[in-house]
Amino acid sequence: MEVFQALQRLHMTIFSQSVSPCGKFLAAGNNYGQIAIFSLSAALSSEAKEESKKPMVTFQAHDGPVYSMVSTDRHLLSAGDGEVKAWLWAEILKKGCKELWRRQPPYRTSLEVPEINALLLVPKENLLILAGGDCQLHAMDLETGTFMWALRGHTDYIHCLALRERSPEVLSGGEDGAVRLWDLRTAKEVQTIEVYKHEECSRPHNGRWIGCLATDSDWMVCGGGPALTLWHLRSSTPTTIFPMRAPQKHVTFYQDLILSAGQGRCVNQWQLSGELKAQVPGSSPGLLSLSLNQQPAAPECKVLTAAGNSCRVDVFTNLGYRAFSLSF
Amino acid sequence: MSSESSKKRKPKVIRSDGAPAEGKRTRSDTEQEGKCYSEEAEVDLRDPGRDYELYKYTCQELQRLMAEIQDLKSRGGKDAAVEIEDRRIQSCVHFMTLKKLNRLAHIRLKKGRDQTHEAKQKVDAYHLQLQNLLYEVMHLQKEITKCLEFKSKHEEIDLVSLEEFYKEAPPDISKAEVTMGDPHQQTLARLDWELEQRKRLAEKYRECLSNKEKILKEIEVKKEYLSSLQPRLNSIMQASLPVQEYLFMPFDQAHKQYETARHLPPPLYVLFVQATAYGQACDKMLSVAIEGSVDEAKALFKPPEDSQDDESDSDAEEEQTTKRRRPTLGVQLDDKRKEMLKRHPLSVLLDLKCKDDSVLHLTFYYLMNLNIMTVKAKVTTATELITPISAGDLLSPDSVLSCLYPGDHGKKTPNPANQYQFDKVGILTLRDYVLDLGHPYLWVQKLGGLHFPKEQPQHTVITDHSLSASHMETTMKLLKTRVQSRLALHKQFASLEHGIVPVTSDCHYLFPAKVVSRLVKWVTIAHEDYTELHFTKDIVEAGLAGDTNLYYMALVERGTAKLQAAVVLNPGYSSIPPIFQLCLNWKGEKTNNNDDNIRAMESEVNVCFKELCGPRPGHQLLTNQLQRLCVLLDVYLETESHDDSVEGPKEFPQEKMCLRLFRGPSRMKPFKYNHPQGFFSHR
Repeated sequence: MEVFQALQRLHMTIFSQSVSPCGKFLAAGNNYGQIAIFSLSAALSSEAKEESKKPMVTFQAHDGPVYSMVSTDRHLLSAGDGEVKAWLWAEILKKGCKELWRRQPPYRTSLEVPEINALLLVPKENLLILAGGDCQLHAMDLETGTFMWALRGHTDYIHCLALRERSPEVLSGGEDGAVRLWDLRTAKEVQTIEVYKHEECSRPHNGRWIGCLATDSDWMVCGGGPALTLWHLRSSTPTTIFPMRAPQKHVTFYQDLILSAGQGRCVNQWQLSGELKAQVPGSSPGLLSLSLNQQPAAPECKVLTAAGNSCRVDVFTNLGYRAFSLSF
Repeated sequence: MSSESSKKRKPKVIRSDGAPAEGKRTRSDTEQEGKCYSEEAEVDLRDPGRDYELYKYTCQELQRLMAEIQDLKSRGGKDAAVEIEDRRIQSCVHFMTLKKLNRLAHIRLKKGRDQTHEAKQKVDAYHLQLQNLLYEVMHLQKEITKCLEFKSKHEEIDLVSLEEFYKEAPPDISKAEVTMGDPHQQTLARLDWELEQRKRLAEKYRECLSNKEKILKEIEVKKEYLSSLQPRLNSIMQASLPVQEYLFMPFDQAHKQYETARHLPPPLYVLFVQATAYGQACDKMLSVAIEGSVDEAKALFKPPEDSQDDESDSDAEEEQTTKRRRPTLGVQLDDKRKEMLKRHPLSVLLDLKCKDDSVLHLTFYYLMNLNIMTVKAKVTTATELITPISAGDLLSPDSVLSCLYPGDHGKKTPNPANQYQFDKVGILTLRDYVLDLGHPYLWVQKLGGLHFPKEQPQHTVITDHSLSASHMETTMKLLKTRVQSRLALHKQFASLEHGIVPVTSDCHYLFPAKVVSRLVKWVTIAHEDYTELHFTKDIVEAGLAGDTNLYYMALVERGTAKLQAAVVLNPGYSSIPPIFQLCLNWKGEKTNNNDDNIRAMESEVNVCFKELCGPRPGHQLLTNQLQRLCVLLDVYLETESHDDSVEGPKEFPQEKMCLRLFRGPSRMKPFKYNHPQGFFSHR
């Protein structure tokens, strides 16, 4: 029924995106549990028509929303309601694609299946780290599929993860307002930053939750309820506070800029000094995820894609303006 | 003979040069003497060669004598005269010889000629004979060829084959012994047989003709008998009327209806037949009747002269009236328009009775010039309804049947050919006349068997019973559902206007026992007002807010929080859910643009509507949605995280049992109610 489909599209939220290893395809996961695969190369080519902006294939991946996705060099890993599934990129375009495997980390509670909000790949150790509703970080060995250890420490559910390559450490930010650093080899918590306790960045009327994290080994930027802040990790001090009122849901380092997006239509570009370089409006009223296609195999598809509270994925070929939107 | 010889002589005298007459006399004497002497006979005896020699000698002698005479004459002397005389006599003799010879020659010549002539004659005669014979031969040949080529008519007749002939023909005709050997006789015999057969067949033919005449006469007689039967049957029927009434079997009534039905135009007739059939077979609550004046219907089919008279009369009248008043183009156009939009005097009335004793009255009209059908609807209920203010449009005749099938708004004529007719009389669209004429919905055309395919405009539209039959059941069911849902809404609106959300007992399980938020206001708003609201832009852009929908505004309050809900009610309620758009005024204005949770609340009510439909036929959807909205507002307000910086207790203490307050990257509140445990969780 057309009305029903229109209503579904109006109320769709795209939570996660992931670029294929060849760089030509983009996977997007929404709140109905569907994953759509878009062909970036077709949509960016000069003969692109309206159909190129539609997904090549859409399939029901999970029962609940697909909160996070990540790509290895052969698989697409998607996670949502309590379990993580793997799909082969090579097979994903065929109809009736089935997941390669699915895994559920060992949960403590059985009353409600906790969601998985963040997935992190540690390529050197071939690990996949999952974090979400049960306040723990689970590590899964990608070869054997076993869950090796679980890191406890957060008092409320975890929103986001980031990898600090050098040492290797994992940063996790959660609803409890703290950013915790964990050492992967010893599986212990190394450092804790309670962002909301710092007056410069805390915004109590928004809450204390940390929605987004990004790290550049020495530096970390995080945001959410508190303001978007750049931290120096070793000294655990906030160095720059970005003057953005709306809570940010995704942040990432790009070249010498920081890109952030959250409530509000725009993708914000910040200098490291804290100045707002540009605000580029997208088509969704709020953005939840940004994805930079930096795959070396497809330099012509080097774009920034942003998705959030709508059925559309905005494509920015140039950070200055929105080129077009793909839509479910 | 002497005359002959004299005749002969005369020409000779002319020919020859002065032959001496003496010599002739002598000759004739000699001739006379011997009558038997014939020179002709002498010719045969003398030898022509010797005669020739003689001639030559004579000539020589003559020449010699002449020469001697000459000589003597020249010498002169006495002797000479005697010698000359002598020689003269000799030369005379010689001259006589010459003459004889001449005669002989002539005779010979003549003989020769005669002979030649004779022979020639003979030859000619033979020649002629030959010619005659040749001619005859040719003639005969021609005749022969003609005879050979002659085709007699008998070859054109297809004769019976030989074997059959010998089998069938009686022996006196076939004469086998004779005919076997002789093809000519055989053919003759066959022709005889042919003739025989033909005569026999001609006889048979005459017999059959006479038979046929007889039978035709019999048929005539029987027909007359039958036609005399009809009035008797009529009288029997009349007599049986009281019996029918006594037994409650109104055959006569049905019969009368069928009689009137015969005057219906084809689409109305199809509708009538199909509806009656459906009513008898499936739905006893359907009753069909025909209204209108049969005489007028009959008048439509009067012969053209009458109608021309009418036209000329009306023209005359029109002229008079337009002379009196200033004729305006508008008036004439108006009349033309009226003529174009004229309705057939008969109409079909369908009464659909629903379970709760409310009745939907449908009157179907046929617009003759436009070839479309229209319908006027009216709903009557068993008890009189007090119409709440907001429910004004629900049962109005104009909109109660709008969009029975999606997109069928009934404001445009479904017949593409009408556009050209409208252009002629200046009608823009049928919308202006719809109130008066009824709505030309597409399903009405289908029930009347009228089909207007979009691709090929047809010149004559044929009414199709199968089209009507295939749509009858669905349409009747849809009509009933429509009436019932509208009546249900009617009742619900009455309650909503008083601030009570009427939740039936079989839907109580959908909601927790305690709901604090209250519905404070329920009003209709106009379409334009809806599109102007700032939080409804998405719906308008998605094309879900057309002008066939009904729009309402609800206000839910709890404490200081006010939730505005703009509702789009599609005419296809309840199969198409109402769409809610929310705007919360509490610590700032929150809409789906700036608050993910408001978006989630809208999603709960709009997208997850199937759970809220309640028991079939799902008329509780709207009230359940409203109740859920109140519950959602409760959850929203109670689970709002407390701002530590602000002093004072929370305005809304948490009373709902929730497992977790926030979940997922967008930090959703637990909006899903779980029955019967009674706690809230996330979807």
